[in-house]
This record gives sequence, structure tokens and C-alpha cells, in this order.
Amino acid sequence: MLKFHTESAVEDRPLHIKQAMKEFLLFLPLTIIYLALKSTLFAAFPLPDIPLIMVFYLASRKASTEGAIFAFILGYLDDAFSGGVIGTSSFALLVIFLSVHLLSMVVQFTTPAARAGGAAAAALVKGAASYYVLRYSNVDAYFFTHVVLQALVTGFFAPPVISALQWLVLLVTPRKFKDNES
Amino acid sequence: MRSSERNIYSFLRKYQVIIISAALALFSLHLALTDKKEYARGYLLKEILSYTVTPVQGLILGVQDSITGAWNDYFFLIGVHEENESLKKTIYSLVEENRRLGEDARQNERLRALLEFKQSLPYGTTGASIIGFNIERWSRTVVLDKGSSDGIEKDQAAIAFGGIVGRIIEVSGGGSRVLLTTDLRSNIDVMIERSRVKGVVEGNGTDGLIMKYVRQVDEVQVGDQVITSGLSGIFPKGLIVGEVTRVEKSGDNFFKLVEVRPAVDLGRLEEVLVIRERSSYNE
Repeated sequence: MLKFHTESAVEDRPLHIKQAMKEFLLFLPLTIIYLALKSTLFAAFPLPDIPLIMVFYLASRKASTEGAIFAFILGYLDDAFSGGVIGTSSFALLVIFLSVHLLSMVVQFTTPAARAGGAAAAALVKGAASYYVLRYSNVDAYFFTHVVLQALVTGFFAPPVISALQWLVLLVTPRKFKDNES
Repeated sequence: MRSSERNIYSFLRKYQVIIISAALALFSLHLALTDKKEYARGYLLKEILSYTVTPVQGLILGVQDSITGAWNDYFFLIGVHEENESLKKTIYSLVEENRRLGEDARQNERLRALLEFKQSLPYGTTGASIIGFNIERWSRTVVLDKGSSDGIEKDQAAIAFGGIVGRIIEVSGGGSRVLLTTDLRSNIDVMIERSRVKGVVEGNGTDGLIMKYVRQVDEVQVGDQVITSGLSGIFPKGLIVGEVTRVEKSGDNFFKLVEVRPAVDLGRLEEVLVIRERSSYNE
């Protein structure tokens, strides 16, 4: 199964990169708007972790090198906007990307319940990773508000957000009738 | 050798996602740990982000400020009219209270000066407030709030801090009327303080006084103080009447024309002292 994905990706390399760039250009402004709102107007509200849901979506759908780079950039942006320690979110998102990528080989995250549970678990992993990195760096962090509450909100909003992302991806995906036939 | 290279290349390609993810995760961890410890060093990407992130956050906050400003400046002003009216009433009330307090303070100051003046006098007096003015060409009188019930009698002298005011001409139970020194009907026996030259001061119907019966040979000059002589039996001796402002020969070549400015500004007077004890006048 893994071999099939890899070989397919190699065969469609130019098209694959082009599509990944489109998705990147689509997700990046959304992420910037979300992070700008989160760090200004909704700083006190427990918003769902949209970058994490994006990474979860990218990893569970069909993991690629571009997805890993995108996870790193999203994490970096998250830290930059929130004024946190640069690298913590990147590290957490990459761990999640890797975990979900490996997990998606045995579990299909196609139902809303699976997506909600997966996103919540990913948020818990991210929160825990960030929490321990922050604690290691002697930065104050609260486990419940920074980890548990964030994970619950993210898990609750993950299915509709993933559906919206799928719809957006479809808008920029070229229709390949030939492939559909085969 | 060639086979092993192929195997390595195949391995890297097969697990490229895992390898790159792990490498980036380690790099992120390195960033997180060094960012905290070597905060001042900074990274190129971080510097670039500082130029890109800040404007976006500024834009969001600017939009928020605009929306908040519009809300506060327009929509929130619906109930401001009533609030404005209420505040206006409060302001009027406070202005009135402030004016009244200022007035009380000034009155307190005047009364304190009058009390000191009263305590310095060798005769008994009754303080009274002026409650009415009659300032005409032919009649210059004021009405006091004290009358016969307070011991006020006709022909008692009314004085103020600085000089004489007039004499009581009418008395009722709760009030009395004072004929001011500037009234045409007023006649007060006076003398020049410096030269002891005697005469009679009459009102000229305006704000000034005329000192009559001063002979050409009498020594009077501008600036001389005019005081009561105590001869009339109404005003005690030695009270200041005013100051000589003009000395001329009259038309009959016998008396001088002497103009006197009253010591008390009768137009601004608000309280007076009425002298009760006539027996002490000749002391």
C-alpha cells in the first residue's frame, strides 16, 4: 500500500508539485488570516487549531514531502503570530504529521467521528509536546487551557473544517476524466 | 556497490516523507531550544516574518478600531441626547451651586470685615443687610432688613467699613429706610480732619458730596479727609465722610466750593451697621 502511493507520487511528480503549490497558496492566506484574528481579536477565545486541522487533513489524505514542509511553515507562522517560542508549534505539527501519516496506513480518517477523534488526539499530542517544550524552556504554561480545552474545541470543529478544506481543494483541482475512468 | 547505492536511494525515496518530517521536527526542536536560550541571535526567517506578520496584525487591529470607533461614535450615540440633557442640568446645577458658594464666601469675607469694624467701635451697633435700593436723582435711599423690633430707631446713624452711609428716616417693625449721604436732603455736620475747619456736607443728587459753608480764608485742599464733627447729634464724632476732591472759589466770593468723594462706595454696599447708643457720641 505504501509502495503503491510512493511510486504513484514519483510518476506524477510535476503534477503533484503543482497541485501541492496550489494547495499551499490556498491554505497559507487562510492560515495567516486565522492566526491574525487569533492573535488580535480572539486572543482570549479557545478557537479550534486550524493549522493543526490542516496538517491532520494533509497527513491523513496522502502524506507527501510538501505536506511536511507545509506543516513546518504553518507551525512557524503560528509561533510567529502568537509570539511564542519559535519552533515549538513546528515541532508539534511535524510530530503530528508524522504520527497521522503512519497511522493513516492502518486507519481511515474518512468519517466525521474518526476525523473529530483524530484531530482531538492530534491536538492533545501537539498541546502536550508544546507544553513539555515550554516547560523545558522554563516558560509558564497551563495544561488544561493550553492542552485539554484546545484539544476538545479542535476535535469538535475538525469535521466541518476538513469538509470545507476538501471543498476548497476541489475548486483548484483539475478534472481528470481519464483518471476517473481508470 | 552499485546495488547498495540503489538500495540506499530506494530506501531514501521510500521513506522520504518520514525522513524529511523527522529532520524538520528535529530542526524545529533545535529552533525552540535555541530561540529561548539565544533570543537575541534571531533567524533570517524570523526577521522576515517580523516584517510580514506585524502589518497583518496591525491591519486586523486597525479594522477592529474602526469598527469599535464607528460603534462608539454613531450607534452608541442613540441614548446620548437624554444623557446630554441630564448632564446639562447637572452642569447648570453645579454652576449655580458654585456661584452661590462663591457668593457665600464673599459675603463671609465682608461680614468678617464688618464684624472686626464693629468690634473696633466704642459704641453699640446692630448689623443689617440692605434689601432694597432707591437710587434716583431726587431720592437716594436704601432699605434695611432690620426695624424697630431689632432696636432700630429714627435718626440713628448707619455706617459701614470705611465711613458713614446715612441716617435712618423711616422705621417699621421688620425694616427701615436709610437716607444716604448723597441724597439732596442729607445734611451732616463735618470738619476737615487736618485743619479742623467745619462745614456741612450735603448730597448733590449724584454719587458725590458738597461741603458747604467753608470760608475763603479757611484752609482746605484737595486730598483732605472729611470727618463727622458730632454736632448734629446723629453721627458720632470722627467718622470718615470722604475725601476732598475739588476746591474752588464760589460765585459769592465768600464761601469756597468744596467737592467731596464719599469714603464708602454706596452703590456696592450690601451690609451696614446702625449705631444704637447716642449717649456715647460726645466722648
